Amino acid sequence: MKKLDISRLDVLALMRYDACTRCGECTSTCPTGGEAQDVELVTPRGKILRLKELYKKQYGLKARLLGPKEIPEEQLKELSSRAYECTICGQCKTVCPAHLDTIEMWENMREFLVANGLAPLPAHEQIVKSIENYDNPWMQPRTQRSRWSKRIEKEVKIKDANKEKCDVLFFVGCTAAYDPNIRDMAIDTARVLAKAKVDFGTLGNEEGCCGSTMMRTGLFESTRGMVQKNIERFEKSSASIIVTSCSGCYKTIKQDYPKVGKVNARVLHITQYVNELIDEGKLVLDKKVEGKVTYHDPCHLGRHNGLYDEPRKILKAIEGLDIIEMERNRDEARCCGAGGGVKTAFPDLAQKISTIRVEDAEKIGADILATSCPFCYQSLKAATETKGSTLRMMDLMELVRMACSDGQ
Amino acid sequence: MSQGTYLKDKAWLYLPFFGTIILVSAIILLLPYGTVYVQDRMYLSFFLATIVLCVALFFIGTLYNVLIWMQGKGLSGSPERRLLRVVMKSLRFVLSRRFAKVTAVFVKDALYLSKLKDRSTLRWLMHLLILGGFILTFALDLVVTVALDLVNYEPMIVETGWAKIWIRDFGFEVGGLMMLLGLVIAAVRRFIYKPKMVRTELPDAVSILFLLGVVLGGFILEGIGITGSIAGHTVNQEYSFVGYAFSLVTPSSWGQYYDQAWLIHGVMSALFIAYIPFSKLFHMIATPIAIEAEQMLPSGVKPG
Repeated sequence: MKKLDISRLDVLALMRYDACTRCGECTSTCPTGGEAQDVELVTPRGKILRLKELYKKQYGLKARLLGPKEIPEEQLKELSSRAYECTICGQCKTVCPAHLDTIEMWENMREFLVANGLAPLPAHEQIVKSIENYDNPWMQPRTQRSRWSKRIEKEVKIKDANKEKCDVLFFVGCTAAYDPNIRDMAIDTARVLAKAKVDFGTLGNEEGCCGSTMMRTGLFESTRGMVQKNIERFEKSSASIIVTSCSGCYKTIKQDYPKVGKVNARVLHITQYVNELIDEGKLVLDKKVEGKVTYHDPCHLGRHNGLYDEPRKILKAIEGLDIIEMERNRDEARCCGAGGGVKTAFPDLAQKISTIRVEDAEKIGADILATSCPFCYQSLKAATETKGSTLRMMDLMELVRMACSDGQ
Repeated sequence: MSQGTYLKDKAWLYLPFFGTIILVSAIILLLPYGTVYVQDRMYLSFFLATIVLCVALFFIGTLYNVLIWMQGKGLSGSPERRLLRVVMKSLRFVLSRRFAKVTAVFVKDALYLSKLKDRSTLRWLMHLLILGGFILTFALDLVVTVALDLVNYEPMIVETGWAKIWIRDFGFEVGGLMMLLGLVIAAVRRFIYKPKMVRTELPDAVSILFLLGVVLGGFILEGIGITGSIAGHTVNQEYSFVGYAFSLVTPSSWGQYYDQAWLIHGVMSALFIAYIPFSKLFHMIATPIAIEAEQMLPSGVKPG
């Protein structure tokens, strides 16, 4: 008989399974279980109740008195598959009246599923192989990582942080470095840093995957080596600030790396750093940018890290922009559908969710849908194109770059 | 881990635990109950046996659930050893400076249910009424038991005493009415309005209907006591305002069944206590603990 190993569930998570009041507040706002599919088992309540029901069959009082029960393989597989139909957006954490930290719960649930041989899903295994072999989830060679910078090498001085000292280390992230449609995010970030005359560099081809994709799919233990390597690279660079333009990298380096080793540098998301540069007068946004813009809060930046004001302050600093909010914004913002490995394993579901978000922006009459995360950008841009929407998808740094005069 | 250490951990946990259950049981069984309204002592004995058993089941069920938590990732050693360490650290935490801050969070989030208030006023009111009524009734029960059976506090015993009127009559009515209102809202919402987010399975229905039965049973009992002029119900009945209303529609002949009604209400209340750790109602205990655990538990227990 296969016995579930609950020693891989956190003590706090086990408490929280009992603390769930089954009220269902999470079910209606859950982007995958509630809004897009209406499948109870995908909702937070559904997952909690099912997992609890399964482990109680082997660890509950009845199991202690009468012996543990066999759990049918198909039930375990169903739970595993459904658990991965979650973007870990954290909307459930926002609405839970019992104050359950569901973000931690879902990540831990996936670790538990992996430890029990029930995950990751085949679609995720390919990504894991790619990260292990190429150090990025896009099956691209390491030598191509810094290719994005070729376009601006004459215009912007980017130091090689492995060899030269620099104040700021720009951690580019795999998506902006490799996806040709997203590369502009890295380019614009570098341009903005250069406009503010920041002494910055990158790790070039030596930059490793931050490990976010693996961590979000329950493979935290497998990332220890790559995390350690990245921390060593950070230390070697001697930069006092690490800036990321990717929300996923930011969350990972800020929240997960300290579980493996100490990161001595200040870790900032580009929206935080640009605010500092504006406040210090190092970056002047003196060009008018016209448009009716709405900001989409990336889950990893907003609900996971509480950064809601920083991007909005930047938008407000740009003259000419008419800033409007979608009905669901800040901690209530809808997810773009890309996170938690959903886009990889369930692309149709991800598209459905991103389309709902694009409709949110269309409803309020925005011309520009801005965000500050390559995953959100990627999936929302795809949704606007599929939908034939007139919305222009923009990264926040693109707007900042446009607002900087050429003379700077 | 050696067998000796394992047994030592168990002994350190289970001996004080079962010692406490035995002590509580002994106190329950040895109190004089000189002023109890039930006339037939057999009924009283049966109730006492039931409550002792149910309280023991409540403690054992709660401990068992907590020991499942302790099998999780974070600490080393047997679940018993982990629990002992967590208890000791929590006790030290109570004496620390951070305790006041955590208590404030507890009151705001676990008792006042601040987040629920922001999301739905009706559901917040419903929960607050049930939880508040339960806490009030439980607290009054303790006060009355001490006043009656340990210190023989005269104003709590005589029918015209202030404590008898305001605590035994009025206080319990307020607590019971709070629970009743909350449960009625819950029942109407769950069984009549059926909002999409509500999922009703047998345990959900049982929890509400059983508690509703206990609370209504209390008012019916009070009504029977008043209409049957049972001792303790002969003057100032209007302070038991809900029970008094019930008495108006209760035939006086029902007074002869007061003892039976008292026993049914008592046994149902006891069974409800025993049911808590084995049902969804365990969230009443787990939720406040989970809310505070992150701040209370030693850092080693936290995820990661």
